[in-house]
Amino acid sequence: MQEIDDIRDDEIRILGGRKSRLPRSMWVIILSILGLAALGVIILAVVNYRESEAEQLKEPEPSYFEPVVEPKQEITHSQWIGRQVDSDLQGFMEIKDTTINDIPIRLYIPHNAEMSLHIGRMDKSDKSIIYAAQAADVRADNGGIVGAFVLKGEPRAWGLSKKGYCASIGGKVYVGVAENSPLFEQATEEGGYFFRQYPLVADGELVENEPKGKSIRRGICDRQGEIFMVETGTIESFHDFAQALVDLGVNQAVYLVGSSAYGWAVDENNITYEFGEDNYYTGRYRMPKNTSYIVWRMK
Amino acid sequence: MKRHLVISTSIELVRIAPDKIVYIASDGNYSTLMQADNEVRMLSHQLGEIARMIDNQLGKDGENFMRLGRSLIINSSYVYYINIPQQKLILSDATSFSHTVSASKEVLKQLKEQLEG
Repeated sequence: MQEIDDIRDDEIRILGGRKSRLPRSMWVIILSILGLAALGVIILAVVNYRESEAEQLKEPEPSYFEPVVEPKQEITHSQWIGRQVDSDLQGFMEIKDTTINDIPIRLYIPHNAEMSLHIGRMDKSDKSIIYAAQAADVRADNGGIVGAFVLKGEPRAWGLSKKGYCASIGGKVYVGVAENSPLFEQATEEGGYFFRQYPLVADGELVENEPKGKSIRRGICDRQGEIFMVETGTIESFHDFAQALVDLGVNQAVYLVGSSAYGWAVDENNITYEFGEDNYYTGRYRMPKNTSYIVWRMK
Repeated sequence: MKRHLVISTSIELVRIAPDKIVYIASDGNYSTLMQADNEVRMLSHQLGEIARMIDNQLGKDGENFMRLGRSLIINSSYVYYINIPQQKLILSDATSFSHTVSASKEVLKQLKEQLEG
């Protein structure tokens, strides 16, 4: 591809008319050769320093072989990734595609919408829904929800098998990592929502998780107070996914069910973007009755 | 009249004065243009194509633009701060905008040398 051959990641080039500049690597080579030639003359004259000087200057420039770090863009102007929208606009998901550490990642940024949870099959015809994705895991043995779960103030499951949590209480969404969170009680008292999942990022630091396989990964993130969902375009390990979120500047993140779990998002043009497999639970696979969803609805 | 950069596709056209461009970042097959008025514009061209447009259309007027690696074109007149260990580059007019971008240490080292003259 022309663009890739055009310039290396550790090169700079002045644009606008100076097209035939030699790349820096060529200058390094040319200057090294000239330097070595000059050195040869000096070596002949100064015999005492010959060996030490020659060895030192023949060493390759260490910076030439430095590992290349992919540039990333941080928008500090607004601090938020999503754009500002008028509060009287109809709710929608702003969908942005980006690449972090070579991992294609789609961001789903809610606007004028409220998060809740749902248990059971989703109603795809509900036009107030602008995003739905599977939230908590379901136990393989008894079909129960894994970890504490509160549905509109009603506790539906208890227990701590995963330290990540996500809550929506009084219109505010909380994402975090803690063994014990008062948000469970608060969600119960105030008619809110709460569930637990694998922690990915805690206070900007990567959290390691046990499962080592690769899959399409999804998650919900808090980045400087901005809440959004993410999805990888390729199968990734938990570690690489969490590292990409750290590099995105995410402060807190917990996992959402990945792989073929079905969900969808609706953008501002009312276009629906589906992910996962809608017909997965047909035939020999029956959908567990406690399958739960994180749901964003228009305000 | 000062030359403008014209970026055109079959359905749209962007025409912008060079000093209104802060930086252009690669976004896969697209590029993102950050303007001096803090507007962000998505361009359906790869960064290499835009670099060629700057070369061909702006000539000497485009010499403020620098390609930093594969992922970034900056307007060097807005370089305000470089920190090599932190891989941090701030582009600002010290009045109305300040954008932080990141680049490799080697690139920032070369940029610093270039600006030191």
